[in-house]
Amino acid sequence: MDFDTQVKLAIYRHFAETGQRPSPGDVAELVGSDADSVLGVYPRLRAQRVLALEADGSSIRMAPPFSGVPTQHVVSASGIKYFANCAWDSLGVIAALQSQGEVHSHCAQSGEPFHLKVSLEGPEPSTWLFHCLVPAAKWWDDIVFT
Amino acid sequence: MAHGTPLRPLVTIDQLWKLAMTWYSTRLQADSRRPQPDEMRAIFAGLGLEGDFWDPKSDRFG
Repeated sequence: MDFDTQVKLAIYRHFAETGQRPSPGDVAELVGSDADSVLGVYPRLRAQRVLALEADGSSIRMAPPFSGVPTQHVVSASGIKYFANCAWDSLGVIAALQSQGEVHSHCAQSGEPFHLKVSLEGPEPSTWLFHCLVPAAKWWDDIVFT
Repeated sequence: MAHGTPLRPLVTIDQLWKLAMTWYSTRLQADSRRPQPDEMRAIFAGLGLEGDFWDPKSDRFG
């Protein structure tokens, strides 16, 4: 397995196992390397659109579907609390984990609380709708806004 | 309008689940990757999500 893939997997598995973003040092320890080498991989993972960084260039803002910072989209699974980047990604966390879980959020327009149980077969019946604000061609122009 | 922005297409929870599974169900595996633009078009069309809004044609990184 090439080094870029090792770094990507280390990031994603850290999120999956802890619900938290790893630091470059955490990733380096997981892959048996150093933080500078790990940071050298980040731009390529960004180009693949599997990583978004904070302005400091080293802190992970997103490893979609996981969020590196608290958001309104909270997922509980296997006793771990995760933050997702949007409603789509909140279901994506459960899809990535291949585990049942619960999504807690609220309507961005009305503020009404949203709670959804999701099994391995999919979510329970729900009449809620997802409002996608940004056209697909523009999603990664500003993925945090999207 | 929603928060001063135009109302865009709406996606049902079932459609959203299928998108989530397509995008992320293999994300913890070594060979996982984000769908390419042509794949995205087919995925969206298969869920009835069509039109310019769902077209990733200018997706430069995809």
